[in-house]
Amino acid sequence: MKRSAVLVLGALLLGVAVAASLAIGARSVPLSEVLAALLGELTGDNAVIVRDMRLPRTLVGIEVGVALAMAGAMMQTLTRNPIAEPRILGISAGASTGVVVAIALFGVGTLGGWIWFGLLGAGLAGTLVFAVAARAREGASPVNLALAGAAIDAGLGALIYGLLSIDAATFDQFRFWVVGALSGRTSQMALQVLPFVLAGVVLAAVSARGLDALSLGDDVARGLGHRVGRVRITAGAASILLTGAAVAVAGPIAFVGLAVPHAARALVGTGHRWVLPVSALLGAVLVLSADVLGRVLFPPGEVPAGVITALVGAPVLLWTVRRR
Amino acid sequence: MRYAVLVLVLCAAVVASVSLGDIAVPPMDVLQSLLFGGGEYDLVVRELRWPRTLLAAVGGAALAIGGALIQSVTRNPLASPDIIGITQGAGLAATIALTTGIVSVAPAATAGGLLAAAAVFAFGGAQTSRRFVLAGVAIAFALRAGIEIVLTSAETLDAQRAQIWLIGSLNGRGFEEAAPIGVVLALTMAPLAWAAWALRTTSLDDDVARGIGVRPVARRYGLAALGVVIAATATAQIGAVDFVALVAPQLAQRLSKRERPPIVASALIGATLVVFADLLGRRLLAPTQLPAGVLTAALGAPYLVYLLLKRRRA
Repeated sequence: MKRSAVLVLGALLLGVAVAASLAIGARSVPLSEVLAALLGELTGDNAVIVRDMRLPRTLVGIEVGVALAMAGAMMQTLTRNPIAEPRILGISAGASTGVVVAIALFGVGTLGGWIWFGLLGAGLAGTLVFAVAARAREGASPVNLALAGAAIDAGLGALIYGLLSIDAATFDQFRFWVVGALSGRTSQMALQVLPFVLAGVVLAAVSARGLDALSLGDDVARGLGHRVGRVRITAGAASILLTGAAVAVAGPIAFVGLAVPHAARALVGTGHRWVLPVSALLGAVLVLSADVLGRVLFPPGEVPAGVITALVGAPVLLWTVRRR
Repeated sequence: MRYAVLVLVLCAAVVASVSLGDIAVPPMDVLQSLLFGGGEYDLVVRELRWPRTLLAAVGGAALAIGGALIQSVTRNPLASPDIIGITQGAGLAATIALTTGIVSVAPAATAGGLLAAAAVFAFGGAQTSRRFVLAGVAIAFALRAGIEIVLTSAETLDAQRAQIWLIGSLNGRGFEEAAPIGVVLALTMAPLAWAAWALRTTSLDDDVARGIGVRPVARRYGLAALGVVIAATATAQIGAVDFVALVAPQLAQRLSKRERPPIVASALIGATLVVFADLLGRRLLAPTQLPAGVLTAALGAPYLVYLLLKRRRA
C-alpha cells in the first residue's frame, strides 16, 4: 500500500471513530442529530449530550491517543527497544506521582496545575530511564528496561497509594483517574492540554530526521552530520511533554504507545516522517475505540478506556517479545 | 561471622519494634516479658506488639527467600515476585475476595499467586530466562488491569480496604497470619536445603552444567516453583509489601560477595527490612499509621535507581 494511502485511510478511520464516539453511549444519538448538534441547530437533551459530554471527551481522547502513540514511537527509537512505551518505562507512573503529590500535598485541584506537576514527574522518571538506556552501548536489553520500568511503576504506585491512604476523599476521586479514563473530561480540559500536546508534536516533527539517523546507530548518525546529543534531548523532551500532558488529563493509559507504533511501522516502514503521523492517527483511533467499547460493554456502568487498552495491549506485548 | 552480625541486627530491630510505640517499653522489660512473662508490660508486649513483629519477620524472610530463588533462576536481580506477576495475581484474587466477600482473603490470594505463576510458566517457560521475565511483566500488567476493573466497580470502602491490602499493611495482624508462613517455611526446609546447594551451579552455563551431571531446565523449574510457593504464601498473608523480595537478596549477595544471592542471609535481611519498615510506618507520622509497604517502597525505590545506574551494562 502506498504510504500516502495509509495516511488517508488512517484519517478516514479517525473520522469513523470520532463519529462513533459522539453517537454511541448510554443513550444513542443518531448521526444526523450529532451533526445538527455540532452545527448548533439542535436543542434538547441530545444536543447537551453531544456538545457538553461527548465532544469534550472525544477531543481529549484524540489528544491523548496522538500524544501517547507519538511518545511511544520516539521512545522505541531512543532506547533502541521494541517494547519501550510510556507506561512500561515507568514514565506514566512518574507523571501520576506528580499529579498525586499535587493533589495530596499541595492541594492543587485543577488540571492547569496538575499538568505542571505531571510534567515534572514524567521528566524525572524519563531522565532516569533514558540515562539507564544510554549507559548500555547497544541500548539496554528489553528485559532490563521492562523490569526497570515495572519496578519504577510498582514503587511509585505504592508511594501514590501511601499518600492516598491518608485521605479518603482524594482516594475516591483518584481511583477512577489512575486507571486512565476519558469520562467526565470537559472542553476546558481539552483546551488546557492542547498547547502541551502541540509543543510535543512540533518537537517530534523537528527531530524526525534525526531519529531516522539515530536508529542507524550513534556513529552513523554522527557521520551523517547529525548532532546526536541534541536529537536525543529534543526527542526525549518531546516524549516527556506528550506523556506528562496525556497522563495529567486522562491518567496513565497503558499500551497505546506500544501497539500503535509497531502497527505504523508495519504499514509505512521505519522512516519517522511517516511513522510519527501515522502513529498519531492510529493512536487517536485506538483510544477512541477503547473508550467507545468501554461505554457499551457493561451498561449502564463504564469500563475505563485504560482498562480496555491494557487488556488488549498485554497480548501485544507478549507477541512483541516472542517474535524476537 | 557475617551471619552473626545479621542475626544481631535482626534482634535489635525486633526489640526496637516491640519496645517503641505509644507506650514505650524499656528494652530490658521487653526481653523479660518475652522470655519469662509476668510484669506490667505483658499486655502491650505479648498481646499487641510481639505477634505483629513476629509476622513482619517471618513474612519478610519468606518474601526474601522467594525473591532470592527467582532472581537466581532468572539470573536477573530485578526479577522479583512483585514484578513478574505473582504479587499481582495474589492481589487480584484478594481484591475480588475483599470486595465481594464470597471467599476469605488469604486462601484466595495464595491461589491467585500460584495461578499467575502457572500462567507465567505457561507463556514464558523456564527454558530461557529472558522470555520468562518478559512474560511475567506482561502478565503482571494484564492482572493489574484486572485489579483496576475490580477497584473501580467496587464501593468506596471496599475499594479502600482492598487498596490497603494491596500496599501491604501489618496493622491488626499477628500469629494467625504468621502461622501459615511458618508452616510453609518449615515444610520447605528440605527443598530449601537442596536449593541452597543447587543455586551454586545456576551461575554455570547450561552446557557446563550438563557436563557435570546437572539437568539445568528441570532444576530451574524446581527452584522457581519453590520460590513461587513461598512468595505466594507470604504475599497472601501480609499483602503486597513491595521491593523486599527485590532488595533483600541483592543486599545479601553484596554482603556475601557471592555470584548468587545466598538464601539464609536473604531471609535475615528480608526479616529485618519488614520489621524496620513496619516500625517506621507506625511511628513516623503517629498517630497516622502508614502501611509497611509504603515504607519498603520508599526505601526500595532509591536503591533500585542506584542499582540501575551502577550497572555498566544495563
